[in-house]
Formats: sequence, C-alpha cells, structure tokens
Amino acid sequence: MIKIDHLTKRYGDTLAVDDLDFEVKPGVVTGFLGPNGSGKSTTMRIILGLDHPTGGRATVNGHRYAEMKDPVREVGALLDAKAVHPGRTARNHLRALATSNQIRKSRVDEVLDFVGIAAVANKKVGTYSLGMSQRLGIAGALLGDPGVLLFDEPVNGLDPEGIKWIREFFRALANEGRTVFVSSHLMSEMAVSADEIIVIGRGRFITSGSVNDLTKSVGGTVLARASDHDKLSAVVTSHHGVVHDANDEGITISGLTSDEVGQLAFDAGITIFELTPQRASLEEVFMDLTADAVEYGSKKTDPARG
Amino acid sequence: MATTRSEWIKFRTVRSSIMGVAVTVLLTIGLGVLITTLVRTHWDQLSSIRVATFDPVSSSLRGSLFAQFAVGVIGTLFITSEYTSGSIRTTLTAVPNRYRLIAGKCIVLLVTTLILGEFVCFAAFLIGQRIYLGVVPTASIGNGTVLRSVILAGLYLALLAIFAFALGLILRQSAAAISVFVSLLLIVPIIGLFFPQSWQNDFTRFEPSTLGVSMQSPFAPSNSFGAWSATFILLAYVVGTLIIAMVLFQRRDAGSNQ
Repeated sequence: MIKIDHLTKRYGDTLAVDDLDFEVKPGVVTGFLGPNGSGKSTTMRIILGLDHPTGGRATVNGHRYAEMKDPVREVGALLDAKAVHPGRTARNHLRALATSNQIRKSRVDEVLDFVGIAAVANKKVGTYSLGMSQRLGIAGALLGDPGVLLFDEPVNGLDPEGIKWIREFFRALANEGRTVFVSSHLMSEMAVSADEIIVIGRGRFITSGSVNDLTKSVGGTVLARASDHDKLSAVVTSHHGVVHDANDEGITISGLTSDEVGQLAFDAGITIFELTPQRASLEEVFMDLTADAVEYGSKKTDPARG
Repeated sequence: MATTRSEWIKFRTVRSSIMGVAVTVLLTIGLGVLITTLVRTHWDQLSSIRVATFDPVSSSLRGSLFAQFAVGVIGTLFITSEYTSGSIRTTLTAVPNRYRLIAGKCIVLLVTTLILGEFVCFAAFLIGQRIYLGVVPTASIGNGTVLRSVILAGLYLALLAIFAFALGLILRQSAAAISVFVSLLLIVPIIGLFFPQSWQNDFTRFEPSTLGVSMQSPFAPSNSFGAWSATFILLAYVVGTLIIAMVLFQRRDAGSNQ
C-alpha cells in the first residue's frame, strides 16, 4: 500500500505537487492520471525517495522509501526506461541491481526471460529500441518480486502487442494481491487497464474512484425527442433538470435519468418518440475535469483566420 | 558490502573504466620508459648541477604525473555517467541510503585505483632503474625512503581519483567536472606564475601536482613540503571536497536531471 500524506513539492517558484493526499490499495490496478506536467512523475519520484518533498510525506507499507534496507524487494519501479548506462549490457545492469539488494543471481535470467529480452541480454543497452528498454525497465521492477509496483507512463514506446501484454501483466500482478500504481496522461489507456483512477491536474488532487464511478459522477445526458419539446423543457426544468440543447431533433437534458424524464413526460401527457441515455466517455470526463488544470494546453486557433 | 559488490560490477562493466585503466598503465609505464631512456642517452651532456641533484626515483615515476589525468577521468565518469545517462535514479532506488551508496562507490574506486597506482608505479620504477643501470646512478627498492616514494606515488593517483569523483558528484556533468579537474592541475599553477616571487613559493607548494612531486621524491624538493606533509595536505583536499560533495548530494533531488 502506498500512502500520500499532504504531499507538497515546490521547485523554485513552481508548485509541482500541491497538498496531494490519497492511498493506493493492493489488489487493484490504480491509474494515476493527469495531463503532462501535472505532477505525476514528481509524486512518483518522491515516493521512491529520489526527490525530497517540501511538505508532507509519502510512505510505502508504512515506511519511508529511504529507510528501507533492500527496497527492490519491496517496491519495483519503472520511472524512465532510458535511465540505464548505455554502455552496459542488460544482464550486467540487472546483475548489479540484484547484487545491491541481495537478490539471488538466477533471478536475473528469470526476469529477462519473462519480459522477452533474454536473446539480447548481452547487448549494450544503448543499442535498444524504446520498447526493448521499456521491457528491461519492467524486468528491473520485477527483479525483487516486490509487493508494490510503480510504473511511470509504461506504454510509451510499446507496440500494440506490447501494450496488450502489459495490460494483462498489470491485471495479473493486481490479481496476485500486489499494489499496482500506473501513471498515464492517456485517459483511454487508463479506461482499459485500471480499476481505480486518481486524477490530478497542476499538482492538485481532482478526483478519484472507479472507472464507472468517474463517468457517472460527471453524469451522462439524456436525449429526448417528443411531441412537444417546449412543454417537455418546462416540465424538466421545474424538476431540477437542465436543458442544454433544444432543436428539431430533440432536447438534451442533464441532471435527470432517462427513467425520470420518461415518467415526467408521461405525467404531463407528452408523447416520447425517442429517449436515449448518453454516457459521457471517460475521455470527455477527463477533459472536463482537467480543463482548468492543463499547464501546456494547445491554443485554440481561429478557423476563420486559418 | 552488497552495495560495494554491486558498484564493483558497475565499475568493471563499462568501457570507460577499462580504457582509463589502460591509459593509466600506458602513460605511467610508457612515459617512464621514454623519460628514463632519454636521461640515459643524454646523461653525458647533463650539467654538473643537474647530475648532483639528479633523483633516479622521481625521474622514473614522472609518467604518473601524466597518468593523473587518466585516473581523474576514471573517478569523474564513475559518478557523472550516472547523471548523464539518468541511471542515478535506478541506482538510488536500489540504494536509497546516499551515504551507503557513496561509501560503496568510494571503496570500489579507492581500492581499484590504489592497486592500479601501486602496480604502475612499482613497474615504472623497476623498469626505469633497469634502464639507468650501468650509466645513471640507480636507487634500490630495499631503501626505506625509496620504497616510501614509490608507494606514495601510487597513493597519489588513488587520491586524485577520489578527488575527481568528488568534483563529479558536485558538478554532475562529465565535461564540467573533467574541465575543473584539469584546470586545478594545470591552469592554477600557471596563474601562480603571475604572483610575486615570494607569494609564488608559498602558493606553488600547495598545488596538487607539486604535492605529487613531493610524495614521489625521497628528499623534499626545494620550496616544497616533505613527503608525509604533502600526503596529509592532499588527503585534506580530498576529504574536504568529498564532504562538500556529500552534503550537496544528500540535500539535492536526484530524480530530475538538475
């Protein structure tokens, strides 16, 4: 279990992490979602004791990372796949890592085999593609057979087959009861690979919950096509619904379920031709949640001016 | 111990360390052979003063004053390559105790460069005396002060490797750290030349290279410290720089690149 306790990190004038407070539980894949520059990597670096927090603390299984004796056996991490000396071979890299944490030597070949780079294990890491480096990073994270795993943007650089493999792999790790914490800036990726999601923006906590809860919390809309749109709008509004869009094709209502809209229409004697609940996609939820929190968003261009 | 063994694997599995060791051997022994051969062939032409003050020990060890740059590069890259490649993050997640990490690295570096330094200095001395034999006066390793000079010449190389390592830990960039290291050994003495004569003598004997010459000479050269004083002064430089480096390392974030 990872516990983030009122964590704050300031780099000069910028507040990279602003009073974050959450827990990552074992047995599920927890997605850590936010736009680029929102503080995900900083938070992970603080969990791993690489950066010192300005305030608050981060603990893994109740301990600060820096206090652990052989941390690789407790926490596996993939931060940056390229963070390996390019002149060293993959096997020697893992051997040094295993030796530092008193992990048996044979484990190196096991993890090399598991991630599928055993054939190139004696090649210098500098010759690896990003996908191969990513696999080496995963091998390093698994080396100590840890109960807690952190992955920072793990799907970057992987091919579709690799992405499918890693999703199943996260699921398998979580099913074994491990804590799996995966960051991404891609909502669509998190929607398929995570059970729980923590959303941050500009270093601040925005929301958290299961993938289903998140889409529900923002709420869907209901598209209704009826015999009398004006009357329906009036009825809906008087029952705390909000009418967004009214045209010949129907009206879009939020704040009420389709069941409620149907009942209201029946009571008011309006004939319903079509009643469609429209679920917000996770992507829309994410955009909506982080709209104010995008640090480096692209500017909207004026199409008229080109 | 696990940290030290891990760092030893890391040290010997990159080409830069191996190259550094090869260059150290080449410079100390190769230049030693070259210098002693030149002395032998030109012995007749030397002035009587040069002959009277001639030191067969330090003259055969002169190559080590060039090899100091090679051990400097070994020491610097041992830590700066971790920063340039980003592998410092992997290293620190494996060994989060930063004192333990630096202790492990220093033990590996000190032991390897000490063995290397002693090997090349003994070899250069013995080969040099063999070259001198019959023409130039020679020194015997059986003599206590001669033995001390050869041993301290090897220690000088090991201490400079640690010094360069500490500079690398402070600066975290290979080029910057190597530049500063070379500047301290070569440029600072040139600056000293612009000082008035009386200051120059006081200034020069504190320079690392001058301390190195003192350490490898059986008799203290003029305007220089004796061998043991020179050793302790150099040791103070190294320990002082390492303490500064350690304080900064402990305080700084290691995750981001700067």
